[in-house]
Amino acid sequence: MAQRSGPGQAALPRRGEMRRKNVRIAYLTILPVIVILLAVKAYPIIATIYRSFTNWNGLYQNDFVGLANYKEFFGSGLFMVLFKNNLVLLLSVPLQVIIGLIVAVLLYEHVPGWKAFRAIYYIPQIISLVILGYLFKSMFSLDGPVNQVLESLGLGHLAKEWLADGSTALPIMVGCITWYSIGWQTIVILGGMSSIDPCVFEAARLDGANFFQRTFKIVLPMITSVITYCIVMAVVWTFTSLFSLIYSMTGGGPGYETMTLDYMIYEKSFVTGSQLGMACTISVVLFVIIMIITAAEMKLSNMAEKKWG
Amino acid sequence: MKSKMKKVVALLLVAALLLGTITMLSGCSKKADDNTLTIWINGKDSYIGPSEQKLSQEDWYISQAIQRFEDANPGVTVELVVSADGETAHQTFKADAMAGTAPDLANLWTGQNIFSMEDVILDISDLIPEEDLENISGWDSVTSPATGAILGYPTSDNQICFFIYNKQIISECGLDFDNNPPRTIDEFNAACQTILDNGYTPIASDESFPWFGCYIVNYWWVQQSGYDRILSDCDGTTTFADDAGLISALEYYRSTIENGYLNADAVTSADSWNKFCQGTVAMMPQVSSVVSDAEDALGAENVGVMLPPDFDGAQITDQTIGGPGQCLVVSKDCKNPELAVKFLSFLNSRDEVLRFLEVQSKVPTRTDITAEDLGLAADSATAKLFDWSDQIVYWVDNSLYSTVVGDYYNLLPLVLAGKMTPVEFAEDLDGCVTAG
Amino acid sequence: MGLTVMAKQHNPTQKFWRTFGRVVIFIILLILAISFLYPLYYMLINSLKSLSGYYVDPFGLPSEKLQWQNFATMISQFKILKLFGNSFIISFFTVLGLVAFGTVASFSFAKVDFKGKGGVYMAILATLFVPAQVTMIPMYISFAKVGLVDSYFGVILAYWAMFLPETIMLMTANFKSIPNELIEAATIDGCGYFGRLRNVVMPMGWPAISLSIIFFFICSWNDLFTPMVLLKSMDKRTVMVALSSLIGRYTGDPPYQYAGLLMSAIPALAVYAVFQKSIVKGMSMGAIK
Repeated sequence: MAQRSGPGQAALPRRGEMRRKNVRIAYLTILPVIVILLAVKAYPIIATIYRSFTNWNGLYQNDFVGLANYKEFFGSGLFMVLFKNNLVLLLSVPLQVIIGLIVAVLLYEHVPGWKAFRAIYYIPQIISLVILGYLFKSMFSLDGPVNQVLESLGLGHLAKEWLADGSTALPIMVGCITWYSIGWQTIVILGGMSSIDPCVFEAARLDGANFFQRTFKIVLPMITSVITYCIVMAVVWTFTSLFSLIYSMTGGGPGYETMTLDYMIYEKSFVTGSQLGMACTISVVLFVIIMIITAAEMKLSNMAEKKWG
Repeated sequence: MKSKMKKVVALLLVAALLLGTITMLSGCSKKADDNTLTIWINGKDSYIGPSEQKLSQEDWYISQAIQRFEDANPGVTVELVVSADGETAHQTFKADAMAGTAPDLANLWTGQNIFSMEDVILDISDLIPEEDLENISGWDSVTSPATGAILGYPTSDNQICFFIYNKQIISECGLDFDNNPPRTIDEFNAACQTILDNGYTPIASDESFPWFGCYIVNYWWVQQSGYDRILSDCDGTTTFADDAGLISALEYYRSTIENGYLNADAVTSADSWNKFCQGTVAMMPQVSSVVSDAEDALGAENVGVMLPPDFDGAQITDQTIGGPGQCLVVSKDCKNPELAVKFLSFLNSRDEVLRFLEVQSKVPTRTDITAEDLGLAADSATAKLFDWSDQIVYWVDNSLYSTVVGDYYNLLPLVLAGKMTPVEFAEDLDGCVTAG
Repeated sequence: MGLTVMAKQHNPTQKFWRTFGRVVIFIILLILAISFLYPLYYMLINSLKSLSGYYVDPFGLPSEKLQWQNFATMISQFKILKLFGNSFIISFFTVLGLVAFGTVASFSFAKVDFKGKGGVYMAILATLFVPAQVTMIPMYISFAKVGLVDSYFGVILAYWAMFLPETIMLMTANFKSIPNELIEAATIDGCGYFGRLRNVVMPMGWPAISLSIIFFFICSWNDLFTPMVLLKSMDKRTVMVALSSLIGRYTGDPPYQYAGLLMSAIPALAVYAVFQKSIVKGMSMGAIK
């Protein structure tokens, strides 16, 4: 299947008036997006960055304190605890993407029942994370189903209060997030696979490529940009959107053992008497972290696209 | 070229049309009027009761109270807005205040929650009728310790803390909490041991948020140390680590789980209330609001309440934590404060409170309403709560300073789990004070 | 396609392991599917219990009479259908805007090379990195100053800002794999920008567009925080915000709330059902000219 220019490279002519016209149109199409984002997000983000250097309490107390918040946040060791928890939860990202990929290929190959599975797998996304968190909390409670199953298998000595300890609670959360996200990853990857030429796939099967070879050597390279999307978004969500889950499962506890950076932002904003300046500080730190990780991911993905694309 | 331009123009027109439609759908903003009051009421645990959720809005007590006020004051309108979440309401109130559009009246929480917002809440000391000051209790919870300003009316909801117990289990264990409740720590331990020996869980609580801590353990703290000591710990004049009352209360807290008196999975459980309603747990630290649900589940004759036991040598005895946890405030943006306070006074008048109590079983903050007025049986749980309404110490955790309250809530479960000693906990709080 | 094309079988042992493998996979997928359905099952059985019945046994089947009136009351007193209307207006226009603005912008990002593309892309993405809790107060204040508070459009605008970066990321990723020859062929055929969009990108990129419709409809439908903060009037509340006031710290009515939540899942599921087939459409859609 020879192609003159592969996916991912500019499709439109490189020089001449056509190109200039296309570039002008491109700017025009992006303009509404930029206007909307600037109008809604610019002031809050700038305000957040500014207020991270103050002791803002949500109202009129707004004294500039320079780097005091940052010093306190990093100095008290709180940052390391929270960041470590975030990193552990990040383990769910490769898990979700890989499992999602495998399931997507299985569904693509029309495993018996694929229609029903495709319909059902997305359902967790429709259910609120608060309810899921509560259900998981009940499942893993001391006399909950998980321990009961262990008892009946004769593994009663393993039964414990799973969520009472960060070292067991965090892996359970990773499992919960993975379970919840498999549906989404599967659907997105299936969507990406629609651009794969079926002939290529058939040829691979007839050539005797086994399932894993088909998945990882054929599918993966052809949908690199979609996989990048999956990974980048999963990382961003893990850093910014897990609040409801943590809230209902452990409340960040016990102590700070399952608390993450964005949960602490909520605490500082709403619960503990409005230390909003500090909340802004943590937001800025979070922003920088996510920015660094995402930039690295995009770089890697560009390299991969060049190699495979 | 021309056709493309046409298409661009067409797209822009469609977009504009869309925007116009949506803006029209949003309706016009209302003009603030001197005779209109906007009031925020929390959608849960407040004036709108659980039984009312199944009625339409016009049938709610609060809607009808508003109607009565409007009828008595022609030309006046009160607009009800339900805040879905009480916690977020504080932030939204602040944001509105900063934008100059705060509601006239808002349902907020008492204590430090509003003291930190003095800048935007009106001091209504001059506007409150004298008789309200006399007939309503709980003004401490809304009076700023710094300036003495009265920042709102306490709601008619005196949340009192106690141990709720299952009478059937207690009598099965040969105990009689109705007539002879354990009043000292030793008696309490003995009772718990007896219950445990009979195969029941003595106390159950879900402590991932430290309810037991806030309801009862704080009472053991304040009864031994005194309120002033707690406040001076908070501002650094004294230290938590030297606060013997705190250490003693926390050690006892930890001992309940070590002795098996508290459910072993208290730090992570989520089903203590279910277990109590199923009848497998003898006692639970609770507040006034849950009594009617318990009576529905176990039968009213089966539900009892008792005060927490007292430590030997405590400064305060025979009391418990309680007080109004919520209040109604007037914002500084209000254009007609006299009308706003008039409405608050109306809502807290004896007639209105009686009507309110027909819908929800709460303990009122009005001191001139007795259990008999409400037709409560003298030995019922709620009647007992009425007896205690002047034996309460205001919520300790609502008074803790914002610098320490975060670590207080988050680390208390660690003390219970044995991962942190009481002294380490106290030292951490001291650290918060010096840092903040 | 499908298991009708059998690869060459070498011997019975291999055939056994193959079939065994397939059965194992099927069982795993089945278990996963059942686990995904469990939360709905949990909400269903509990929505049919009375409050005390729920407290006594949250995990078992209802033991008393089924409380269908939870659902009836949701419609008659809670006025859930009106709330559906509010949520629907917001979600519908949100998705409309996202698809309109997102598709055209993504096409440019995917296929046009222009100066500063990487930087602009990154900047758009970066607005996602700040969690909502801190941006809430400044955003609220700026909205209040222009009168956008307590209006549908305010919420819709906020959602556009929140979801456009993700939409663009998703669509760009998908559009990148549209073969360039098709676009070039359209250009040769005399299509302008919109012609290319309509004839090539939309059919080929329809999976990504469907995905966006599904995902962001559900996101905006289920979202609690933004409408809770930006909408004040009782008649503009969304369904999820209204349902959240049913379980409080001290008292609550979980069965009633579950009934509401189940009913709210229906529109979301309907949107999913309509669009999910379009997600895998393959190149058989007349792309080869």
